[in-house]
Amino acid sequence: MSTAASSAHASAGITVRDVTKVFYRGKEPLTVLDKLNLEVTPGQFVALMGPSGSGKSTLLNLIAGLDRPSQGSVQVGQSSVSNMADSELAKWRSQNVGFIFQTYNLMPVLTALENVELPLLLTKLSGAERKKRAQTALRVVGLEDRSTHYPRQLSGGQEQRVAIARAIVNDPSLIVADEPTGDLDRQSADDILTLLTKLNTDFGKTIVMVTHDPAAAERANVTRRLNKGQLS
Amino acid sequence: MNIPLLAARNVTRNKLRTVLTTLGVAVTVLTFVLIRTVVAAWYVGVEAASKDRIATRHKVSFIMQVPKNYADTIRQVPGVQAATWAQWFGGKEPNHEGEFFATLAVDPKTTLEVYDELVVPEEQKKAWLENRQGILAGDVIAKKFGWKVGDRVNLVGTIYPGDWQFEVSAIYTAARKSIDRSTVYFHWDYLNESLPEQRRDKVGWIVSRIDDPGKSATIQASIDQTFDARDIQTLSQSERDLNNSFLGMMSAVLGALDIVSVVILIIMGLILGNTIAMGVRERTTEYGVMRALGFSPRHIATFVLGEAFTLGIAGGAVGLAIAYPFVNQGVGLAIEENMGAFFPYFRILPDTAIAAMVMALVLALVAAVIPAWQASRLRTIDALRQVG
Repeated sequence: MSTAASSAHASAGITVRDVTKVFYRGKEPLTVLDKLNLEVTPGQFVALMGPSGSGKSTLLNLIAGLDRPSQGSVQVGQSSVSNMADSELAKWRSQNVGFIFQTYNLMPVLTALENVELPLLLTKLSGAERKKRAQTALRVVGLEDRSTHYPRQLSGGQEQRVAIARAIVNDPSLIVADEPTGDLDRQSADDILTLLTKLNTDFGKTIVMVTHDPAAAERANVTRRLNKGQLS
Repeated sequence: MNIPLLAARNVTRNKLRTVLTTLGVAVTVLTFVLIRTVVAAWYVGVEAASKDRIATRHKVSFIMQVPKNYADTIRQVPGVQAATWAQWFGGKEPNHEGEFFATLAVDPKTTLEVYDELVVPEEQKKAWLENRQGILAGDVIAKKFGWKVGDRVNLVGTIYPGDWQFEVSAIYTAARKSIDRSTVYFHWDYLNESLPEQRRDKVGWIVSRIDDPGKSATIQASIDQTFDARDIQTLSQSERDLNNSFLGMMSAVLGALDIVSVVILIIMGLILGNTIAMGVRERTTEYGVMRALGFSPRHIATFVLGEAFTLGIAGGAVGLAIAYPFVNQGVGLAIEENMGAFFPYFRILPDTAIAAMVMALVLALVAAVIPAWQASRLRTIDALRQVG
């Protein structure tokens, strides 16, 4: 894992401009985000809070290139995410975004090391190099001694740390985390938040985190609140 | 780790389901192999027919007879080295009424010349040639009826009614596995002399050995041309075609077996398709995660197809691993001993094994096409929403 100074990818700034996202329930439109604007500077750790249905995850998905806005634009670093084709987006995500989910979403048939190695299968790295990088990522999250364990042999906190290692293994400029501590006890949640803070401060990663947990939001540089599709 | 290996490892996710699916495919492959082996065994005589033998029969039907002296004429046709004749007798062993076996009235000396794959000890051969009531029996039928050389046996004629007394002069084995070792040969003279005058000197068919298999068609035409001006015209065929004409009567049964084997394949495809579709449904979220990580729809389809491929290989291999000892060391031996007249060689042919394996793989892939297509079309967001 590189330090902030030597990171292969520079930290990404994010510009969300006049973004509207409309979903359709049958023929009935449902506006989840309404002309929303957000600016995240490179290397910032932003927490998005708000009640359920306020559009937090939708905004996170737009920033991460998992979805496209109905109107407006999303720019991450030099990339205009909202204008990319599906295949371009997939490639962009694999190179620029690290994902952390609430329920970890590790592959049960793979060991911790193999789970971390998974995103690197999309690169041209040799098997030995992939393994080396995966081991490094596991060391960053403090789980190098669990590399041969399967997810079922790990605690929730350890699973989430493996997921974080998977998110950083390709050295992305942006990490998006959707309720990363939602399924964890307080102690494990604190460990995960400490790790995210370390990734932000020591490695310069831009982090956007959706959370309901005020204690988690306190770790971020900035907390933005969403309500009915608008930032306050 | 690589993508195909990851796809294959997905089958270890639900071990019970994988084991049951593999066994399901294996049993289907076993059934397929058994049916194909039955069909192949029917045709084994055709496939193993000697290329240097020509059979000549009545032009209208093989159940009508031709004059025995046609054999002398055929011997004069250029390219013919030897000729012999045979007549279907249709004998029954009184103590084994239900057992079917071929009983042929033949000219012993020329039969052994033309059918040189019949292996007979010299002493027994000499004894059979000299004994007008002697029979040459296959070792399988001799074992089944408990016949030994020197035994006196009684056969009941169905085409030529009456009790016919014989003595077992010789017992043959075969130089080729495809030869029926359940046939009983006896002297045609013995039959001919017992018939009324008007039924004498006629035979069912004449078999000749030729010097060049490449000229078989020309020699067949020459033989038939020789008899064109006679009252009874002939139809000459390769031994293979003659055997085929006998099998023609069984074509409906063989056709039905072919249909059954196709139905079995369809069942196998449905079993696999169902299992794979269930696996895909359960892994929707994982596919969403993989898409988020940057894997393409093609990758997702590859995962699904790779898993199906693994199941197909495993099921096919287990099926063949069961089928080979079951058929070749078990049921096949029993069938050859008890139904040798129909199935002289009942073993799994390499072609059958290859076909079963290829079918298992192809069907596994075909069964996975729709689930793979559905998985690849999943929208990342929709798939991830299944997280809850």
